[in-house]
Amino acid sequence: MLSIDPTRTDLCEEFKRQPAGRHSADLHRLLDLMRWGYARGKTIILCTVPHKEWRLAKMGPRRGSKVQVDNSRVFHDHDDAVWACFRARWKEMTGRDCPVE
Amino acid sequence: MSERLLAYTDKLSAKPGDLIQVKVSSPHSGKYRARLVRMICGDDSADGPGFKTEPVKGVAESEHAARFQPVPLGSYAAIKDRKGFALASFSLAAFIWPTRLDKGEAQCILGNWDAANASGYALYLDAQGRIALRVGESAPVTLEAPLLSRHWYRVAASFDAKSGRVTLAAHRQLPYAGNPQRQIARGKAAASTAANRFLIAAWNDGAKVTAHFNGKIDSPTVYAKAQPIEALLLPPGSRGALTPRQAVAAWDFARDIPGTTVIDRGPKRRNGQTVNLPTRAMTGWNWNGTEMNWVHKPEHYGAIHFHDDDLYDCGWETDFTLRLPKTLKSGIYCLHLTQGDLEEWTPLFVTPPKGKATARLAFLVPTASYLAYANHQMSTSWHFDELSSSRFTTFSQADLYMEEAGSLGLSTYDLHNDGSGVCHSSYLRPILNMRPKTDLWQFNADTHITDWLEAKKLPYDIITDEELERDGVAALKRYACVITGTHPEYYSERMLDGVQDYTNHGGRLMYLGANGFYWRIAWHPKLPGVIEHRRSEDGMRAWWTETGESYMEFTGEYSGLWRRNGRPPNMLAGVGFSAQGFDVASWFDRMPGSNDPRAAFIFKGVGQNERIGDFGSVGGGAAGWELDRADAALGTPPHALILATANEFPASYHWVKEEFNHSHSAVNGDTCPMVKADLVFFETPKGGAVFSASSISWAGSLAHNGYDNNVSRITENVVRRFLEAKPL
Repeated sequence: MLSIDPTRTDLCEEFKRQPAGRHSADLHRLLDLMRWGYARGKTIILCTVPHKEWRLAKMGPRRGSKVQVDNSRVFHDHDDAVWACFRARWKEMTGRDCPVE
Repeated sequence: MSERLLAYTDKLSAKPGDLIQVKVSSPHSGKYRARLVRMICGDDSADGPGFKTEPVKGVAESEHAARFQPVPLGSYAAIKDRKGFALASFSLAAFIWPTRLDKGEAQCILGNWDAANASGYALYLDAQGRIALRVGESAPVTLEAPLLSRHWYRVAASFDAKSGRVTLAAHRQLPYAGNPQRQIARGKAAASTAANRFLIAAWNDGAKVTAHFNGKIDSPTVYAKAQPIEALLLPPGSRGALTPRQAVAAWDFARDIPGTTVIDRGPKRRNGQTVNLPTRAMTGWNWNGTEMNWVHKPEHYGAIHFHDDDLYDCGWETDFTLRLPKTLKSGIYCLHLTQGDLEEWTPLFVTPPKGKATARLAFLVPTASYLAYANHQMSTSWHFDELSSSRFTTFSQADLYMEEAGSLGLSTYDLHNDGSGVCHSSYLRPILNMRPKTDLWQFNADTHITDWLEAKKLPYDIITDEELERDGVAALKRYACVITGTHPEYYSERMLDGVQDYTNHGGRLMYLGANGFYWRIAWHPKLPGVIEHRRSEDGMRAWWTETGESYMEFTGEYSGLWRRNGRPPNMLAGVGFSAQGFDVASWFDRMPGSNDPRAAFIFKGVGQNERIGDFGSVGGGAAGWELDRADAALGTPPHALILATANEFPASYHWVKEEFNHSHSAVNGDTCPMVKADLVFFETPKGGAVFSASSISWAGSLAHNGYDNNVSRITENVVRRFLEAKPL
């Protein structure tokens, strides 16, 4: 069955350290599972000020509907937004909080 | 909902002295200011060379009243005559292939119904996906069961004004056990003889057009009496079927497939026009696979596929006109509009005066490729977007705007709301991703090249794909050297012939990009500003054509890859698309070809063991995003020199799918030797030459360290040598 192994905190640490570029095979596999399928219904990143500010968001049920923006956190570093999105996807897929903060 | 000031112009490229119509829509009343600037660099990121524009003398700033203009999405056909359809008794029939039965709103098949005052009549799909008939103020008559999506049905309605009897029916082409093939319903209504506008695939709401149909419609027909339902359900041409001579109108969509007319075969020739370019050359109810090209058997292609999100021309009123000064220097310009916090930048590509060159170098701006990507919403069209790009979906403000608006007409990378592929793209609409201050892709990435040319004080003319299409090689032959953009991906036959003729006759081409000359398009032969592309057969394709629909309606040409049309890009550029990845870029290492005396001029000032381009603002390296490689089997000339190769890529880089004929797992950058880019040079007949950078990221490295780096050095060595008349 295709699922994430929730005990692999090492893969979370690896991604947090380096979100882009050469990854271990297991992290690559985990990211493929996280990124499979349409992004609608999953947490995505929204750039709210070009080059300066990002927030997390979720699209509505179809084109033409409002995008729900999470205004509780504002990220001033793109990598911080990417890490937050990873954690949100982990929760969406496993039902549990990502074990790495 | 986010707000935008939006604008477009009637022309995308223009000459000095031309008059430009500027069309603007604002979410607010009040005034906006407008000025014309020359665009040098549109990259406003901290890593880039800096956002740079230059004011234009001779064009004053102006101020204008702001007003909102809507974007009229949705295709349909409008019939010229009205009186002939103002009928007491009537019958309607058509074949339909509905595609969006879950829309939850009415979708009109045909009729003259006006929702604003409940007059006229219409055969339609109701909000539950059931066939229904409305006549005037009477309650609709509806079939019991919803239809099945993407199935052909013959649908018909018969209404007798004297008795008030309605008969409604649908007959599915395919039989299924346990699912009735035919439905019939009977009801009552009172006649409504209003002479409203008659539409196919939509209905009226006062002056507006709504209830857009999604799916194919074939052979729509109208009669002026209540015909027997069994006769109406018979396919045209079969024994006992009604004939066009008996009809008020019987449209044959198999006629004028490349055009916008819908032709009535009935005695009164009640023709009409399509609006917003619904897709033609679509397999009809009777297509049976005996012909794949509509040109050879148009009678099997009598369907039009309508979409509620088609867009050809916004049709906005002109807010103001702009006369370009006769002395205006050729270049990339932008109309810069501002209103409070809102700003809009609308590009305008200014060529030299017709028949003249005002520089020895031309920058060939790939406007056909900009159009192919115009207003794309790949993140909601593709189920594989994050896997392909190795990134979590990140919306810009423009993405947010389009998602909440529904769309701004979509791109050839997208699926329509009904899941079918988008095959037209037009510039008669605001294009949010053909702007400065956007992602470094296509237009904005190409301003790295104009920025570098300006920094190196290399004068250049601008020529776009439209001039290349119109004039062929004549658009280029005055230039000693032609430089491409970072991603000149979409080419018509005439455009490709133009560039090939140029290099075959002594022209010197610098291909500063990758995945170029890859897909075949057609410009409409009559309508301005629109291209067609169908994702036929193979390639890294965003969607695939349905069987039998791979030939373009505009020209009858087979679309898809140039490789599958007999002209792989390697024949022209020495290299062709090999792999792609979008998280990090890499560098080039010199190859033995770089030490060939023929290439000595290219590497002046570059060390033997230097990594070429292990820096840059597009992925951090000069070898990145999309990559091309040399391959003699695909037409790389035998004397081509491979100067340098990049082959250190992570698993996020993927080999192109048209090259593996069978699935296996060694297709990524960490296991596949085809994931690479080759820097290539070769001479062409009559003193010409080609230099190919083979990487989209190449131009993003030009400005590094104040333009003092080996990517800039190599590029400058080539362009200066290519500009010298002496033979190579």
